[in-house]
Amino acid sequence: MIEDYTEGTGTAVVGGTEQRASRSLTALLWPIALVGALLSLIPLWLGDSRVMMGVAVLGLTFACYAVGFNLIFGSTGQLFLCVGALAGIGGYGSAILADRVGLPLLLSILLASLASSVFGGLLSWIAVRRSLGVIFTGIITLIFSLVFGNLLLGAAGVTGGDGGFHIQTGADTFLRQTIPPYYLMLALVLIFLLTHGLLRRSYIGWAFRALRDDEVAAELAGVNVARYRVIAAGIGAAMLGLAGSLFAFTEGTISPTTYGFAQVDVETMVMLAFGGIGTLFGPVLGAVVFTVINELIQDLGQLRLLVYGALIIALFLWVPRGIIPTLGDLIRRRK
Amino acid sequence: MIANLLDGIVLGLQFGLLAGGLTLVYGLGGVLNLAYGQMAVLSAMAVVLSMEAGLAPIPAVAVGLVAGGLLGLLLDLTILRPVYRLQGEARVLLSLLLTLGMAFMVDGFLTWRYPTKALTLRIGGGPVEIIGVRMVRGGVVASVITILVLTGLLLFFRKTTLGRAIRSVIEDEQGARLVGIDPQRMLRLILVLTGVLAALVAVTRSLVTPVAVTAGFELTVSALIVTVVGGLGSVGGAILAGILLGIISTFAASSIGTVLSLIILLVAAAVTILIRPSGLLGVKE
Amino acid sequence: MLEVQGLTAGYQGGDVIRDIGFHVAEGEAVMIIGSNGAGKTSLFRAVLGLLQPTSGNVVFQGEGISGLAAERIARLGISFVPAERHLFPRMTVQDNLALGAYPNRPDPTTMKVVLDLFPRLAERRRQHAGTMSGGEQQMLAVGRALMSEPRLLVLDEPTTGLAPKLAAEAYQALRTLKGSGLTVLVAEQQVPLAMALSDRGYVLENGVISKEGTSAELAKDPDVRRSYLGIA
Repeated sequence: MIEDYTEGTGTAVVGGTEQRASRSLTALLWPIALVGALLSLIPLWLGDSRVMMGVAVLGLTFACYAVGFNLIFGSTGQLFLCVGALAGIGGYGSAILADRVGLPLLLSILLASLASSVFGGLLSWIAVRRSLGVIFTGIITLIFSLVFGNLLLGAAGVTGGDGGFHIQTGADTFLRQTIPPYYLMLALVLIFLLTHGLLRRSYIGWAFRALRDDEVAAELAGVNVARYRVIAAGIGAAMLGLAGSLFAFTEGTISPTTYGFAQVDVETMVMLAFGGIGTLFGPVLGAVVFTVINELIQDLGQLRLLVYGALIIALFLWVPRGIIPTLGDLIRRRK
Repeated sequence: MIANLLDGIVLGLQFGLLAGGLTLVYGLGGVLNLAYGQMAVLSAMAVVLSMEAGLAPIPAVAVGLVAGGLLGLLLDLTILRPVYRLQGEARVLLSLLLTLGMAFMVDGFLTWRYPTKALTLRIGGGPVEIIGVRMVRGGVVASVITILVLTGLLLFFRKTTLGRAIRSVIEDEQGARLVGIDPQRMLRLILVLTGVLAALVAVTRSLVTPVAVTAGFELTVSALIVTVVGGLGSVGGAILAGILLGIISTFAASSIGTVLSLIILLVAAAVTILIRPSGLLGVKE
Repeated sequence: MLEVQGLTAGYQGGDVIRDIGFHVAEGEAVMIIGSNGAGKTSLFRAVLGLLQPTSGNVVFQGEGISGLAAERIARLGISFVPAERHLFPRMTVQDNLALGAYPNRPDPTTMKVVLDLFPRLAERRRQHAGTMSGGEQQMLAVGRALMSEPRLLVLDEPTTGLAPKLAAEAYQALRTLKGSGLTVLVAEQQVPLAMALSDRGYVLENGVISKEGTSAELAKDPDVRRSYLGIA
């Protein structure tokens, strides 16, 4: 329970260790394929309702966010409280490039995701340079989130400000239909999971684990801590940007609240914490569970926050490492 | 120009008082209380409800202060129990998460039950003149109260045995235990104190601008940023940072407009944190 | 005055001290000697409430204190000066001493006695504790411990980091205190100094008491002479 929190060297406190990477490629591929297969059945059940499919797409988008955040925080212990902002750079960036600047859709998405990646890497680099610990990294990135949110409001001429940005590009394509966006997002989730899985099995993944467990030891072992932190942040941020921009084009309208701290970051963190920080499928599990929970408590109005708060407290008191690691422990104890 | 400076100081003192409570708890107990804004709002609502029930403003404010203190005590007795079993960074992270959950619960409940309420206290009489500048009376009164409270706190911590005992726990917890001071008891006292401070912040703020039931998170984030700029654990730093940021904010707002000035404020805060992570008056680790 | 029986304690890795038993009578000065890592510090922490023992009894003036928290024990008349001192660095010498008397206000007479014992502290009353030299900090730590007028003073390696002259001065002060009735328990690596002060002693090796006796007896013991007095 709470005793699972170890003192550790700073970063790897909440959520416990990343699980041992599987040996063979098949061991990685078939669970991902299974998850993909299961999730692809959803439209069969909800496909009639545009509203419900919208919820499902949002859920998958959050799964993407959670995988990205998992890569940044779970793998290298950098508390980035700017998930929404990085996704927003992708979302608003691609929307602006496509609608206002007139670039082709695909290029806009790519460039915007690249911008997210650059910002993510930059934030990480600054944090490393100034030796910011977990909390300070969190605060600086929180400020980044707030600045980004305010910039969106302030530059209303370009971004549409409070009223939102109605995206014209892609309006008449499959992107705005009911079912295709779901499969698009699902594909993204699976690609992200695969990327994360492959990274874990590679030298890069080993470097991540090493530096998260003990920075000093990692440096001594030849791991350039700064470089790998920035790499993790760069890749994670790219994922966030990509998901953010794809979401923008499937939604058609985005506003500052689409990528706000309260709306995105808090949700993503809770989802990941629930699923299990550092695990491969934790983000997806968390996203699915919380999307369902959110739907269930939809009618409670403002009381949703109360339920949410109670869930957070319960979560961190009793299952602090997340569902997947805790289940893993239980199974191991039974043996 | 002078007007902006004075307005900035008025705002800054508010920031300082707000951050002071947060930084005290962090410095003493290594606990980050993200429900701080909600504590202020809950107290404000207690005042509103008391006034609606017929109480005159001053007794209503007293009710609010008591409510704040009780909330601090409640926090210590419930949510923070599991937190105390941890040390160092684990303690900060867990306290952060649990108090965040608490913040959501309080915020959710209040905004659901009293969605439109806000606390406004009016001080009769027109503008007051300070060194040739006409200032809103409410702001001046708020500042005077804040200065009195902060002075009182300063005297308490420097001159009284209890105050010194509390400081000693911040300085060296083991050392404090060695002379017979119980850190847990001191922390409980401080939590009650910060609860009262949160209530006070809500009350003084309401003299200047209405404190809405939704203001909770905004207050917490402001407090957090001012706290970090001033140095975690330093009340003096919190006040200094508060005044500094208050002045920057007012000057920026008067020349450029709210959104942009907010951005400038945030960037200024970030730059200060990056240049000197330990804060303006914080202890270098 | 102080009786310890069967005390066993340790950290997550395992027990550091095992089945420790010793006693300190009123007015005595008793030393615990042993090399680095023998467990002296853990022993004191276990006795004084900074470390929870796994088993054993500690009785002070007839009352059991094992399992009590350090801050409670501190109020029972035992003052502990740990090796790391744990002073309050940004508070003045004056304030550090004043807090020694917690929860009471500092008694002016006691304060005078302490400052007479350590004149250097009197000179630096308003100086911040963190800016003082090692020797001065040690004096302050002892002075602070004395402010509560303890019956028993426990010191863990009080000469750590002190130049020989200052170490001798420190023990001189302890001798004076013992002379006025204070009971002293000290853990020490610098055995000759402790021996000159103490009536009796115990040797701690690898977490167990290996020898005990009066100072005179221990001084003649060949193993003690070899290991701790540097005499072959």
